[in-house]
Amino acid sequence: MSIDDATTAANDRLADRDDMIVCVGVDKFYGDFQALKGVTATIKEGEVAVVCGPSGSGKSTWIRCINRLEVHQAGDIVVDGIELTNDLRNIEKIRSEVGMVFQQFNLFPHLTVLDNITLAPIWVRKKPRAEAEAMARALLDRVGIPEQAEKFPGQLSGGQQQRVAIARSLAMEPRVMLFDEPTSALDPEMIKEVLDVMKELARSGITMMVVTHEMGFAREVADRIMFMEGGEIVEVGTPEHFFTNPTEDRTKLFLSQIL
Amino acid sequence: MSDSGQVSADREFQEGMEEETASPHEVPSLPMGQWLRKNLFSNWANGILTLLGALAALVALRGVLNFVFSENRQWDAVRTNLRALMTLSYPESQYIRVWVALGFIVGLAGLSAGIWANWGGVSVKRISTWLMGTGAFLAVCVIAREPSVIIGTDGKVVRTVEGSPQRESFMDAMVDRSSWWIAAVLLLAVGAGLWSRFSGPVRRRVEVPVTSVVCVGLGLAVLSLWIAPYGHYAFISATKSYVAESGRTVAFSTKLPWTVMWILLCGFFLVGRSFQRSRYLGLIKGSSNLLWLISPLTLFWVVLRDPALDYGHVISTDLPMGLAFGLLGGALLWGLTRTGIGEAGRITATLLLGFAVFNWVAAFFGWYPMLQKARISFLLLALAALLAPNFIGELAKRRQLVLGWIGVTALVHYLATMINTPSTVELQSTEFLGGLGLTLFVALIVVLLSFPLGVLLALGRTSKFPIFRMLSTSYIEVIRGVPLISVLIFFSVMVPLFLPDGMELAELAAVLTGYTLFSAAYLAENVRGGLQSITKGQYEAADAIGLTSAQRTGFIVLPQALTVSIPQLVGQVISTFKETSLLAIIGLFDFLRVANSVIPAQSEFMGVKREGILLVAMIYFFFNFTISKYSQRLERRVGLGER
Repeated sequence: MSIDDATTAANDRLADRDDMIVCVGVDKFYGDFQALKGVTATIKEGEVAVVCGPSGSGKSTWIRCINRLEVHQAGDIVVDGIELTNDLRNIEKIRSEVGMVFQQFNLFPHLTVLDNITLAPIWVRKKPRAEAEAMARALLDRVGIPEQAEKFPGQLSGGQQQRVAIARSLAMEPRVMLFDEPTSALDPEMIKEVLDVMKELARSGITMMVVTHEMGFAREVADRIMFMEGGEIVEVGTPEHFFTNPTEDRTKLFLSQIL
Repeated sequence: MSDSGQVSADREFQEGMEEETASPHEVPSLPMGQWLRKNLFSNWANGILTLLGALAALVALRGVLNFVFSENRQWDAVRTNLRALMTLSYPESQYIRVWVALGFIVGLAGLSAGIWANWGGVSVKRISTWLMGTGAFLAVCVIAREPSVIIGTDGKVVRTVEGSPQRESFMDAMVDRSSWWIAAVLLLAVGAGLWSRFSGPVRRRVEVPVTSVVCVGLGLAVLSLWIAPYGHYAFISATKSYVAESGRTVAFSTKLPWTVMWILLCGFFLVGRSFQRSRYLGLIKGSSNLLWLISPLTLFWVVLRDPALDYGHVISTDLPMGLAFGLLGGALLWGLTRTGIGEAGRITATLLLGFAVFNWVAAFFGWYPMLQKARISFLLLALAALLAPNFIGELAKRRQLVLGWIGVTALVHYLATMINTPSTVELQSTEFLGGLGLTLFVALIVVLLSFPLGVLLALGRTSKFPIFRMLSTSYIEVIRGVPLISVLIFFSVMVPLFLPDGMELAELAAVLTGYTLFSAAYLAENVRGGLQSITKGQYEAADAIGLTSAQRTGFIVLPQALTVSIPQLVGQVISTFKETSLLAIIGLFDFLRVANSVIPAQSEFMGVKREGILLVAMIYFFFNFTISKYSQRLERRVGLGER
């Protein structure tokens, strides 16, 4: 089954939506090693796409190409109608539309939680400080830690830090959120609190692209699941299709190992 | 002292309790005997080493004491020349200017300490061990020093037949030193009293604020000026005579200003602390930082030199020029921050920068005349224009930039006018200021100016752009490959060529330029160490939320990098301060040179060097030790809560 077939067959619900992220034949090399081999996929507006696959399969590389943290060498990436090129203004525009949550949180340790969140709205969106702070507190409320606003990231638990990181991304009011293994660095008891926030987010209708190993999360909220291996998208499908009736042998093998 | 300490200790008790519960674990201290056995006499070899070490320390102490209190020492040479050591030949009639300058700095220091204060506390245990330790050390000193020589009725040392000086008996010596004994016993008693008033854990927990310890300590020192018989020593330059009266307190013109200084320090500390809960804290912090930046220059060139302004020139040239730059430049910046200016803004800024740089080239070759002030202003305007894109948007931000520009212009033009006007202070020598005053001034200015330059160089060296990287790297490597002395000599020869004719203090300007450029290269390397400690994730997170690279550097990278490099930066401040002694090489009279060559050249104290140099060493040590201690506190503070 080809990728295009799978994409069209996957979900009729999204068929009439606009394209949010379009990747066509994206190649990425690290020296001689090819990390991405002609990755082609389209993510619709409001879609929740989960990317999974064994480590080293190129899923993190791909998601990092989408906001230009990594530079792809061939193919096209178009985000919300803006093509990613070397033009600095396009990159800045895309980055302010695309939020990203990292595996290692990457909060700014020298700023308070509140300053972490308000920094970009104030300096990139040019919002007045009072307005930015009000929004930051509302976001902290939304991710369930309103009382931590004045603390430094080092004083929070991993789960709390990741939720601050999500709030920091949301503060830019992005149209797309990218999650790069958001729960991989967390202790088991903290994973749930982060996933709960992400589930709430998924239901709010924002476009999300999530690289994760949390299959429960994928089954519950994903519109589509993309399985990658060796720098290629091997299989794309709805959660039912993916978990109950995968077509590719490599997908079956992966699922048998992980479930 | 113990009483006032006790009052604040009670007040701080609650806070101390809270802090204690936060600190993870506390190892109870061992009783004296066990501690000794564990650390000093754990086996026979360690025991011998301990005894040998103690013996060596005792011998060294005895040597130092015998040197300091020897009958051959002429401490009068230092006492009468204290003023020369501080400011060289600054006239006594104008000395109020020195005190005003010092008072301003002291007041500002107190204010900043109050504003930024979370200085923490010192536990009662530490205070009491410190008091007892000092008392015990004093007692050891009194015993260790050899008995004094006997002075005969003719005022000369009584000598034995062989010619060696005759010394009093040990018991007589102890009786003679009774006042030292009293001091030692008093310290021991106060320390022990404090120790026994609290039980073990409480002793460690109850803390007295550092600031009140410092305040009380300095207060006692100032009080002692009024009551202790330090003696009255001075050099009266009008009559070229020396005053040396032992047995009375110091001169009124010494104790009064120092008392005022103490009041200013403590008073402004309290004022600063009262601002801590103020709504305008941010504004006050900003203005106190600004004062720190501009006051050294202003105090040195305006207060100390008291320039004689030529009002005709001021009205015809200086004022119009300042107004023109301030208003026209402000209007230009206002235009450059218009929304939607786009590329036109960048192009204007670049053109302006080209023009500003060209002015300097033209000045070098003498193509067309232009006042130095104008060249500097054009350069500053170009830099402001480059910064303008960050202020596009709200009205308030645009206004901020324009007002900032007008303020900077006013300040630069004011200072430039003052610097170019001759001084009215009548000097007895060619040197305007010398001694500790010069040392501190040069160190302060060099540290302040080399800091931004060094940070820029470090950023350049780690930049993505090869041209910046190459320029910074070669600059740093060239400067680091050249000794400071040759840099100073080179600049003292070269810089006067670039300055307007007849400018005063050309030598000093040259030194400041050369030393700043030198220091910046080393500072850049220290900052680069900090920059490299910032993880890739921080850059990525900053990029991902859409910060521009300038914002990323200013808000995310630099604050963390500078925090990491505090120890190295403080090391650099200390070495900058110490190496100002090289100023002597190019003919300036710094602190050390006054002690080393000015005092020994006076007819009364021909060849008396050692006393002055010992004092100079002690004062250098005092300053550097204070800086070092402060930085340890700073490291602990930024390390806490943020990581």
